[in-house]
Amino acid sequence: MATETTATDLVTLTIDGKTTSVPKGTLVIEAARQVGVMVPHFCYHPKLSPDANCRMCLVEIEKMPRLQTSCSTPVTEGMVVKSSSSAQAQDARKSVLDFILANHPLDCPVCDQGGRCDLQDFSHEYTATTSRFKELKRVFPKEYFSPLIETQMNRCVQCLRCVRYCDQVMDVKALAPVGRGTLTEIKAFGAHELDCEFCGGCIQICPVGAITSRLSMYEFRPWMLKRTDSVCGYCGDGCQITFQTKDNALIEINSTQGSGRNNGDLCARGYFGYHVSEHPDRLTSPLIRKGDEFQSVQWEEALEFVGQRLLEIKAKYGADAIGGLISGRCTNEDIYVFQKFMRGVVGTNRIDSSVRYGHLNGVHALQRVQGTHRWAVSFDDIVSADTLLLVGTNITETNPITGLKVKEAIKRRNAKLITIEALEPAIGSISNIVNLAQHHIGVKPTEYAAAILGLLKAVVEHNILDAELQAKSPAYFEDISARLHALSWESIRAQTGVDSVAFTQAAQVFGEGKKAVILVGPGVLRSEGGFGMTMNLMDLLLVTGKLTNPGCGMATMAEENNDQGAFEMGGTGAVLPGGASLGDPEARQKFSKAWGRSIPETPGSSLPQMIEDAQQGKLKALFVVGENPLSSLPPSSGIHGALEKMELLICQELFLTETAKQAHVVFPACSYAEKDGTFTNTEGHIQSVRKAIDMVGESRPDWEVFSALSVMMNDPMEYEDVKEIGKEIRNLLPGTRTLGPAPLPAQPIPSAIARYVTADYQRDIATRYQLPAHQLEPDQITLLVSQSLFHSGKFSKKAKGLLQVEASGKVYVHPEEAARRGIDEGDSVKVSNSLGEVILSVGLRERIPRGVAVFPEHFDEEIRRLLPYTIDPETQVPYCKLVPVRIEKSVGT
Amino acid sequence: MAQYEKILLKNMEQPGYTGSLADYEQAGGYQALRKVLKDMQPDQVIEEVKKSGLRGRGGAGFPAGMKWGFIPKDHPGPKYLCCNADESEPGTFKDRQLMERDPHQMLEGMVITCFAIGAETAYVYIRGEFRLGARILEKAVQEANAAGYLGENVLGSGRTIKIHVHAGAGAYICGEETALLESLEGKRGMPRFKPPFPATHGLYQKPTVVNNVETMANIPHIINRGGEWFSGIGSPPKSCGTRVFCLSGHVKRPGNYEVPMGIPFREFIYDIGGGMRGDKPLKAFIPGGASAPFLTPDHLDVKMDFEAVAMAGSMLGSGGVTVMEEGTSMVWAALRLMEFFYHESCGKCTPCREGSSWLAQTLQRIWNKQGRQGDLQILEDLCRNIAGRTVCAFGEAEVGPIQSTLKYFRHEYEELIREAEATMPPSKEIPVFTH
Amino acid sequence: MLLEKFKDEVTEILSRYPVKRSALLPLLNLAQREEGFVSEHAMRDIAKVLGLTPPQVFETVTFYTMFNLKPIGKFHLQVCKSLMCALVRSDEVVIWISKKLNITAGQTTPDNNFTLSVVECLGSCGTGPMMQVNDDYYEQLTEEKVGRVLDDLAKDGDCSLKSGPFMFPKPLVKS
Ligand SMILES: Cc1cc2nc3c(=O)[nH]c(=O)nc-3n(C[C@H](O)[C@H](O)[C@H](O)COP(=O)(O)O)c2cc1C
Ligand code: SF4
Ligand code: FES
Repeated sequence: MATETTATDLVTLTIDGKTTSVPKGTLVIEAARQVGVMVPHFCYHPKLSPDANCRMCLVEIEKMPRLQTSCSTPVTEGMVVKSSSSAQAQDARKSVLDFILANHPLDCPVCDQGGRCDLQDFSHEYTATTSRFKELKRVFPKEYFSPLIETQMNRCVQCLRCVRYCDQVMDVKALAPVGRGTLTEIKAFGAHELDCEFCGGCIQICPVGAITSRLSMYEFRPWMLKRTDSVCGYCGDGCQITFQTKDNALIEINSTQGSGRNNGDLCARGYFGYHVSEHPDRLTSPLIRKGDEFQSVQWEEALEFVGQRLLEIKAKYGADAIGGLISGRCTNEDIYVFQKFMRGVVGTNRIDSSVRYGHLNGVHALQRVQGTHRWAVSFDDIVSADTLLLVGTNITETNPITGLKVKEAIKRRNAKLITIEALEPAIGSISNIVNLAQHHIGVKPTEYAAAILGLLKAVVEHNILDAELQAKSPAYFEDISARLHALSWESIRAQTGVDSVAFTQAAQVFGEGKKAVILVGPGVLRSEGGFGMTMNLMDLLLVTGKLTNPGCGMATMAEENNDQGAFEMGGTGAVLPGGASLGDPEARQKFSKAWGRSIPETPGSSLPQMIEDAQQGKLKALFVVGENPLSSLPPSSGIHGALEKMELLICQELFLTETAKQAHVVFPACSYAEKDGTFTNTEGHIQSVRKAIDMVGESRPDWEVFSALSVMMNDPMEYEDVKEIGKEIRNLLPGTRTLGPAPLPAQPIPSAIARYVTADYQRDIATRYQLPAHQLEPDQITLLVSQSLFHSGKFSKKAKGLLQVEASGKVYVHPEEAARRGIDEGDSVKVSNSLGEVILSVGLRERIPRGVAVFPEHFDEEIRRLLPYTIDPETQVPYCKLVPVRIEKSVGT
Repeated sequence: MAQYEKILLKNMEQPGYTGSLADYEQAGGYQALRKVLKDMQPDQVIEEVKKSGLRGRGGAGFPAGMKWGFIPKDHPGPKYLCCNADESEPGTFKDRQLMERDPHQMLEGMVITCFAIGAETAYVYIRGEFRLGARILEKAVQEANAAGYLGENVLGSGRTIKIHVHAGAGAYICGEETALLESLEGKRGMPRFKPPFPATHGLYQKPTVVNNVETMANIPHIINRGGEWFSGIGSPPKSCGTRVFCLSGHVKRPGNYEVPMGIPFREFIYDIGGGMRGDKPLKAFIPGGASAPFLTPDHLDVKMDFEAVAMAGSMLGSGGVTVMEEGTSMVWAALRLMEFFYHESCGKCTPCREGSSWLAQTLQRIWNKQGRQGDLQILEDLCRNIAGRTVCAFGEAEVGPIQSTLKYFRHEYEELIREAEATMPPSKEIPVFTH
Repeated sequence: MLLEKFKDEVTEILSRYPVKRSALLPLLNLAQREEGFVSEHAMRDIAKVLGLTPPQVFETVTFYTMFNLKPIGKFHLQVCKSLMCALVRSDEVVIWISKKLNITAGQTTPDNNFTLSVVECLGSCGTGPMMQVNDDYYEQLTEEKVGRVLDDLAKDGDCSLKSGPFMFPKPLVKS
């Protein structure tokens, strides 16, 4: 929350005759914008520190000797500024344009920026149509820049916005202004092609057409494009994007400064990953299995078949022989209708969704301790935090935009950063958050639990504790302290490789934080003991007295765009929409009344439970929507056998996935680019998804299918359109009325905290406050299968742009780790353990800790075989991302 | 010929003087430092320098004592001194001599300055090409360290003062003080916009003083003999002391000459410099380095001090006096300088970056007898549109030679254009639409 | 790794600055002194030592004219062409050298001995025409002097005509 400005912090000034008051420190150019005076500029950008290089924004300021750059001059009391009312300033701007145009190629007809170019606009406003420049223009030879980004350096106005963005906002520093004077050009390193995060920020921030996207080059003129504001469908950050379409084709994606939680920033997935929807492999009609083959059928036939079969199975085995699984990529409306269909029409609580894969640990921990299923902080609180603790986030790759919030807090607002990450502070082609940390505790990905305990132990030993709460609940503090005292520093060091000094320093910094936010990522949420670790981090907030302080709290990172929504819409069997427990009589009553259908008495079961039940013959049919459990879970989970036993497997999908190939019926679904609805991002912000292109083939929005099936099953659950579903949701769930600029974070509920610290904590404290043992054999290395910056699930592998950056998976290890094994970049290696062996290619990355190998989960078809599978006893989250393996050079290569 | 007392060049002109620490000490070196550490408070040193009226010798002529006074006294963190030894202004070659011949003189000045402003660390930013100078300075720093004039606990005072020699790598703009700081931070030498000024946000955003080599070299003398003494030399009250002027071009005796400020150019060029080589008449001269507008024989009686030269429409700048004889083309001279500026513009500001290339190309064309009607108007407009609209003073500097030659020698330009027109087919203007 | 060879010197250089990046120019100078130019290898190594990305090193290198990104001849002849030297006929120096070595500005002799460059002011305006050869200045050049310098360098790798500590005009020796 922004601190309130008092009158003394305000400065009054006059701009072009308009008087205004703005906060002290505001730049003249911003003050002018506020009174509606647009000062032309190239190099200025609100996200960047001023550089005042283009000299376009000159204004006349009374009592100042010469024209001043409004982009670098802060306002002062009583300042009198003349912008368009100053002939001198107007003349100067005109001459700056003259200078820029001198070396500008005027190739507007073939420039992708034409029509939305600052230089064009200002030229139109200021200059005559002639230039007196008759000399030679500089000409840069065309060079290949990168697979996705193209430079046209002849058009560059040298404002360095791209370079500054790449450094100041992204912390990537991949762009170099090379040379001096007019011959300066923006390049990568040497003659090499650009190797970076490919966030597209340089393209978006370039005021002219000097940096453009190769994905859409020469395909359009901006005025032919139709804009549709929507939300990105990849990760839980939930960035606002604008689809730019032409004749129903996706041409490009933009984002606008000032709109959305991402405020104009995107990552590679968001900016370059949009071709999935248009992939030729999209399913275009319903399929029914006839023997070994699929046959295209009409919707009516498919729906009737499925409705019939569901009724038959229900009649024969009972409703609980039917389960449903829905993706956290679907809209809230889809998920809501799905669970309503399953509970109300089919009559089962066997529902699960991809929130189960990890995000659920965070949600349940928040719910248990603070009584809300949402963060008690928002993105804004991350930006304005004074202390940030990141645990197992690998934030750049999993939640890049939340990562930008962290970077902004550190780089622009001098927040302190503590990281507990499986990352080495090495510089690479993508940014590395631990390089910005004051205190970095580098651990192997198996040791987060031990590191969290180390931090807690230091907090307790140095009495960085909240005395008030301690006085109120001494038993809670004593129990925790006793358990932490029982752990020795030696054993913690033996596990983490980190000594007590480092933990103590980190604990002290954390303790000093007035606005402290803990960010928790998949390293914690998706690895064994994930729920316990998250709970321990909640304890950390509690014992240090931060949980209830405004601006403090825990932020758990969702990997999929609508994981949070999946939970909130009732996408997990044991939880009703709105987060109430299935057993909550009040909630049950509310929904059965509203739906006109009773909610089944059976318990909700999780995906792991359903797998087990299928194997035991208790589950006979599974309705899978947008999920692909065959590729999300390793064979050790038993998913193969479970699906084989299904009498009816229904898949609603964009593509014929591994799971869909096993199905009896496949419904073609449409992607987020083709439908309306909402997504809820990781911070609990509900945002509108809008249809940008026509539905592909016969594909339909998910909710329509459920609705149609309900009709087939003689229990119609009809909706006119998606708005009607939205209205129903909003009426039932007051917390979902937050469609708007920014969500108000939930407040921790005192009674929930009280309940937790009095008795509830005891339930599992014994297991949580124990060092889990991880033994590696001498020649083993810990394999981590995790998310890459350039992909999201398996979905993005259909995005041609992203494939240009990362087309296949490699096992990445630290160069020293490779050298020890006589392995080099690109070599083939055998990766093996007791579950099997696979041959893979090797990549070297200095940021990966020694003793660890990382493989991108998006390409895990083979390596999945090596992964073991365990289930969290509290939350039923399946863990299958970490395993000890041997890596050796494969012979014969 | 009048004889003037030398201050800065005195030691080195003694036969056999090598600039070693022993030689410097024998000539009374490091007495000023002893005096400062023994008897003076930092404020008193600043007062003394203010009293002396010493103005910076690097180009802008800012009063040194005043600059030091801007350093916040209560600043908790480190402060820095940077000695500007980038000496890249064409026509200037005095710092090189001051460094190579009497390095301890400037080092002593630096140590005293560090004491006065409360800096522990000082850097000498020396242009990369001065390899010999850098080696000599490094050796002198070692000597001074060994002798206790530098390092931890300077002369038992408990003060730590360290000096490091930092070599540039070929960029004129790094002489501009904020570009120098950027360069010293390991970045591209692009000037920063001001404010904030280096006095509060300098090296690593810490309070920093940047002073020229010659400015530093004056300090020990001011301490030894008093600010008052210094302020009586030269052309008080605004131009006190001597200056080492660099004489180059078509003169009989080019070189570095230390004279009190205020003597007329005529005396400097004709008496001290021995007059024109080949005894041709003087056509024009540059009074203060390449950035200073040209002057003409009419200005020979202008006094060599800050005010008088400014009044005459030029500047004393870095003290580089370049003399050109009758027969030298002023268009060519302006072009040569413009090529320099084009080569050295850092490229930050649009007007300077694009303007320098445009100006250089236009001049080249005129000189190659391909000038056109209207070119002079273009030149004038470009100059007007560059000066005063850039981050650093380079913008003013680069237009000086053109504006002044256009002012005094316009006919030479016109003649070249006339010749061009006589030989070129008339170009057809393509009609254009305007709103 | 280049910097390993000069470990002590690198450590000493780093110790001069509170912020690592400041050591960039000194380290690049070191690299160029060792290899004759700044190689990509060197840039990557230096980037690593200083915690920079290679593009950050690259952008800095290319701002400064003294860094060569490609190998050049053993002796780099840099003749000043700025106005002050030009007034005393520095253009002729270029012609003399071209004639003698049969190369033009920007070229290197086939034996890789000499590279000729024409550069801007080197701070030796009173003693022009002049040139810098690697670390050394040669001033008040005449055709004959240029000839001797080139001959000596080719023969001995050094030449006694180079300037010592600068003093100009030379002080009159008291008799
Ligand atoms: C383009 C430009 C180049 C400059 N070059 C030098 C230089 O080479 N040496 C120098 O001492 N000052 C140079 N200056 C002046 C410095 O910016 C600064 O004023 C000076 O170092 C301050 O020291 P002083 O007050 O002792 O003169 C230059 C200024 C500009 C604008
Ligand atoms: S005026 Fe020229 S040299 Fe100075 S900062 Fe601007 S572009 Fe660079
Ligand atoms: S916007 Fe102010 S100088 Fe560029």
